[in-house]
Amino acid sequence: MEQIIKIKNLRKSYGQGENRQEVLKGISIEVGDGEFLAILGPSGSGKSTLMNVIGCMDCFDEGEYWLTGEPVYKMNDAELTRVRNRKIGFIFQRYHLIQKYTALQNTMMPLLIRGVSRREAAEQSMEKLKMLGIGEQRINHRPNELSGGQQQRIAIARALVGSPKLLLADEPTGALDRETGEEVLALFRQLNEMGNTIVMITHDLHVAKSAKRIVKIIDGQLYEGSKSELLD
Amino acid sequence: MTQDTGLYGKMRFTEILHLVWINIMENKFKVILTSLGIIVGSATIVMVIAVGHGGEVDVQKQFKTLNAGSINISVSTEAEMRDQMMQGSFGPGGDMPGDMPSGMQGGMPGGMPGGTAGNRSGSRSGFGGNLAKKQSVVLSTTDVDTISSLVTGLSDVSIYTSATAKVEGGDLTEETEYTTVGVQSNYQSICNLELLQGDFISDDDQDSKNKVAVIGYTLAQDIFGSAYSAVGESLSIEGKTYEIVGVLSKMGSVSSGISPDNSIFVPYSTALKYVFGNNAVSQITAIVSDVNQVAEKMEEIKSILMEDHPNANFTVTDAGSSMEAATSSAKTLSRLLITVACIVFIVGGIGIMNVLFVSVKERTQEIGILKALGCSKREILLEFLSEANFISIFGGVMGVAAGFALVPVVRLSGMTVAPLAVSGIYAMLFAVCTGTLFGFYPAWKAASLMPIEALSQK
Repeated sequence: MEQIIKIKNLRKSYGQGENRQEVLKGISIEVGDGEFLAILGPSGSGKSTLMNVIGCMDCFDEGEYWLTGEPVYKMNDAELTRVRNRKIGFIFQRYHLIQKYTALQNTMMPLLIRGVSRREAAEQSMEKLKMLGIGEQRINHRPNELSGGQQQRIAIARALVGSPKLLLADEPTGALDRETGEEVLALFRQLNEMGNTIVMITHDLHVAKSAKRIVKIIDGQLYEGSKSELLD
Repeated sequence: MTQDTGLYGKMRFTEILHLVWINIMENKFKVILTSLGIIVGSATIVMVIAVGHGGEVDVQKQFKTLNAGSINISVSTEAEMRDQMMQGSFGPGGDMPGDMPSGMQGGMPGGMPGGTAGNRSGSRSGFGGNLAKKQSVVLSTTDVDTISSLVTGLSDVSIYTSATAKVEGGDLTEETEYTTVGVQSNYQSICNLELLQGDFISDDDQDSKNKVAVIGYTLAQDIFGSAYSAVGESLSIEGKTYEIVGVLSKMGSVSSGISPDNSIFVPYSTALKYVFGNNAVSQITAIVSDVNQVAEKMEEIKSILMEDHPNANFTVTDAGSSMEAATSSAKTLSRLLITVACIVFIVGGIGIMNVLFVSVKERTQEIGILKALGCSKREILLEFLSEANFISIFGGVMGVAAGFALVPVVRLSGMTVAPLAVSGIYAMLFAVCTGTLFGFYPAWKAASLMPIEALSQK
């Protein structure tokens, strides 16, 4: 099985001198192709920092990180930008859709940034939006004209459209009601079954249960175990 | 999987422009407000160049009929000198009545022969009479002969006198005062006067003191209804009848300190005998063949005249200096106005910078999303810079249009405004440079944000 993520002894701290606070204390983890991993942890455990580092959106102090075999820890800003566009699909808790763009324009962005033509980007985006249940009548709507569930589906379509190696989700159901949250989790399972690798950050045990594998993060340290052990 | 089909795998510039367009359409009112500084700046540039150039055109028009090598000689009494010094004038020939550009009136040295027409208008009344009595020396044709024979390098020398005189005849219902100039035949070539019909004053007219007159285009229209029907008609000047032998073409300029369009020209000898009598104040104009010798010839003429008239105060001025001074004044005015326009632009540019800074703050999260999706620093920089440039170009185009549209309005105030097409190019260049310069820093700040920093901003 191809390794998507390989992290060895990753450390990150904020502040300096007496105010220095270590947030990630020597994290090591491997995620294989096709896995559906939930990183479960309470607020302030360092899970969001870990997600930002995995998503190449934040730097770290020590350790090694390979993404699909590429050494992220050696990359400069431009290379990290390329990796974010080509290899990672982000799904945020607050969707992070650009309000002035239509659903279609938002979905097309990763492809347009990659240099794909508008026509081709639109075709591929339409396909993903359709797959996620966003009909043609909704594609020219702006995010604020859509429900939370629909916005999250557009965010998922945007994450999928570039066919990334890794889907990185940060509390994907956090802003949704229970029913819509369930629908989104079902969608994640479906996407995983289709072969997508998913890493999901959550504080919610129920949400974490949807994943095939769970790791716990407490006070900046990762704990692995069987799903039932960790859920207990 | 989607392949990297784009140019070098980077976002296409047309797509960046599309994002810029979306932003602009979302914030139309803000764009217009931001552009205001640039609109005002561009319009100012167009206007100041038009006004500045208008001043230069005015000066050129003023001196169109002047010969750069001409020297004017006049005599002034001590009292007159004192009066003129107090008025800031440099000599009796210095007054240039008529349509001098604003800011240049009442102090122009080197007024041309006959240039005292306005001041001398009172010479028929009490003040002029007193002045004439004080003046012990009067220039005459003898002085012309002296200068012609003793000073070499002069192509022409002429004497004339001018003042207002009462005129009757034609369509005039009552006696009206017009500038009347007593001239010799060579006055026409000296002042580059063009004839529409008939002939100019001849040597024969001068010698025989003929009562003939050549009139200006506008005056002919005023008195006879048409400039073409005046020749052969007659006019009464100071009670004597004169036959009109010629009409000048429309000059539209001030020649020799008077406006030929509104003047009557009669033989010099006739003017002395029938029009001005003993009150005539004459001036001499000499044309120097080589303009480089003007200063030298001025000194020479002055010293020759001083020998003949040791008690007189001669004022010798040259047209070249006047032209140079007036042109220089107009250019200084232009430069001053352009400086003002540049200041307006800088203020407009700072306005753009402020708005873009606010825009960066407002759009921090959007920048974070774009960066998270893989938008590079260069692409974000390009997007914000393109937006600043769009605002500048929009402002520039609107400003240039407003500037040209204002030209006829400003003309209503009587100011000479001569817009130049090149001013539009300058204004656009300034607008784009200002937008790029002041738009760069906020754009660079936006592009330099870390994705997570930007995303976490509320």
